[in-house]
Amino acid sequence: MAVEEEEIEGDDDIDIDQIKDKQIVVPGEVLSEDLENFNPGRGTIRKDDKIVSVYVGLKVIRKNFINVIPLRGIYNPKPGDKVIGIVIDKNPVKWKLDINAKYFGILKPSNTLKNQKSRRPRGEQPSTEDLDVGDVLIVKVIQADRLHHPELTTVGKFLGKRHSGRIIEIPPPKIPRIIGRKGSMINLLKKMTKCNIFVTQNGRIWIQGDDIEHECLLIDTIYKIENEAHTSGLTDRIKEFILNEKSKRGIDQ
Amino acid sequence: MSLLIKDEAPEKLIDENGKRVDGRGLKDLRPIKMEVGIVPNAAGSAYIEWGGNKIYAAVYGPREVHPHHMARPDRGILRVFYRMATFSVHERKRAAPGRREKEISMVMENSLSPVLFLELYPDSALELFVEIIAADGGTRCASITVAALALADAGIPMRSLVTAVAGGKADGKLILDCSGDEDKAGEADLPVAITWFNNEISLLQFDGIMSLEEFEETIESVKESLEKIHEMQQEALKRKYIDIRNDIKENESEHQHEGGDQEI
Repeated sequence: MAVEEEEIEGDDDIDIDQIKDKQIVVPGEVLSEDLENFNPGRGTIRKDDKIVSVYVGLKVIRKNFINVIPLRGIYNPKPGDKVIGIVIDKNPVKWKLDINAKYFGILKPSNTLKNQKSRRPRGEQPSTEDLDVGDVLIVKVIQADRLHHPELTTVGKFLGKRHSGRIIEIPPPKIPRIIGRKGSMINLLKKMTKCNIFVTQNGRIWIQGDDIEHECLLIDTIYKIENEAHTSGLTDRIKEFILNEKSKRGIDQ
Repeated sequence: MSLLIKDEAPEKLIDENGKRVDGRGLKDLRPIKMEVGIVPNAAGSAYIEWGGNKIYAAVYGPREVHPHHMARPDRGILRVFYRMATFSVHERKRAAPGRREKEISMVMENSLSPVLFLELYPDSALELFVEIIAADGGTRCASITVAALALADAGIPMRSLVTAVAGGKADGKLILDCSGDEDKAGEADLPVAITWFNNEISLLQFDGIMSLEEFEETIESVKESLEKIHEMQQEALKRKYIDIRNDIKENESEHQHEGGDQEI
């Protein structure tokens, strides 16, 4: 299999590293009573003349918006998201995929490369024989709303079935921290552990390294980032952590 | 079969000095300890020790509703499963859920759902499991308090937290936060839950005899203590993250000290 490059997913437009006083707030906590200068942003509601948090999260002021970045939560599918799905069921016309969301995703054969109309031999019907229950796929959400199950596709760059590697799961709101500002964290991880990483929006991360030691080091590092996602100066601390662990475990010496 | 230890309430619930059986004053709360994020497989979880009560709460979902006919196409539903362990009370409790469990599950659903944005989860259910490991009076209030923490820990958007505590009457005096003995032998028990976003009461049950003036006085003193418990809830939610931050700061300052020594 050709070496695959990971794609850096959409960076969160709110950068928590830049804000020094990251106050932790809880649901119902009043964030501001100054409605002339501030507007309620993400993760907040307006109640009477107050801006109130709805999550346990970090209070971040950006321009004149007060936002709350949640620290835990579920994944909400949006069109265009790349996610890792696991086939949980199949029938002659579609596969059902667990995408770590409220609803399972639906993958139709016509949305896979092999069964596309232009590639299919004349007169042959699309079938769901290619994939089995338990297969791991990287898919893209093409349609998602609150009335239908999200529809998925495997046609696109980096998409399709994974034959090797490992998958780990972290809370979806912490994904932007794994990527870092302009991909700084993910580049650091890639360079220092020599692993391929594919980070997806639903909280699942696909990794593949040269050997098991590097993979284990990377997994431990990702869980450390997840645990310390709400602290500042994370990139430097992670760099130090990897160097320490490498000398402890005797890797790359 | 006779029990080795008899389950009898003391004759006098309040002594001459105005102290209650466990040494508390009339308007004192029992010691409360809260912790969040202790069930690793749940979306959110919390644990509370409130006097002799020990309660776990865990939230799963939003996920598909089974049985399917309970699902609502326009909004999600909150399902609460309040269960008591067989060893949680004095005499062995039968494991099957009874009338009381169904009732408390229902009142918990009704008192918690006003703070949730259930319209965000059409056709799905939030499932909340509340397990009583040890019971000593006021489990429904402690359950509502800990359930609000578990929901907040799961990252489910909430208008505010919910807090509950019981007022009551024993030996002719108004008391707060009834213990198991005071529940059984006392004259009245009045559990109250409040939703903080509108300061409205979302649970009010009453059992016993009390005059109207006494009722109003109890509600007033309950409101005061609810505020104290609300502060504890907020502190418990923040502590989970602030502890990690403090650990890192300590480590960093240790590192700096070590570095300084080496230079010398």
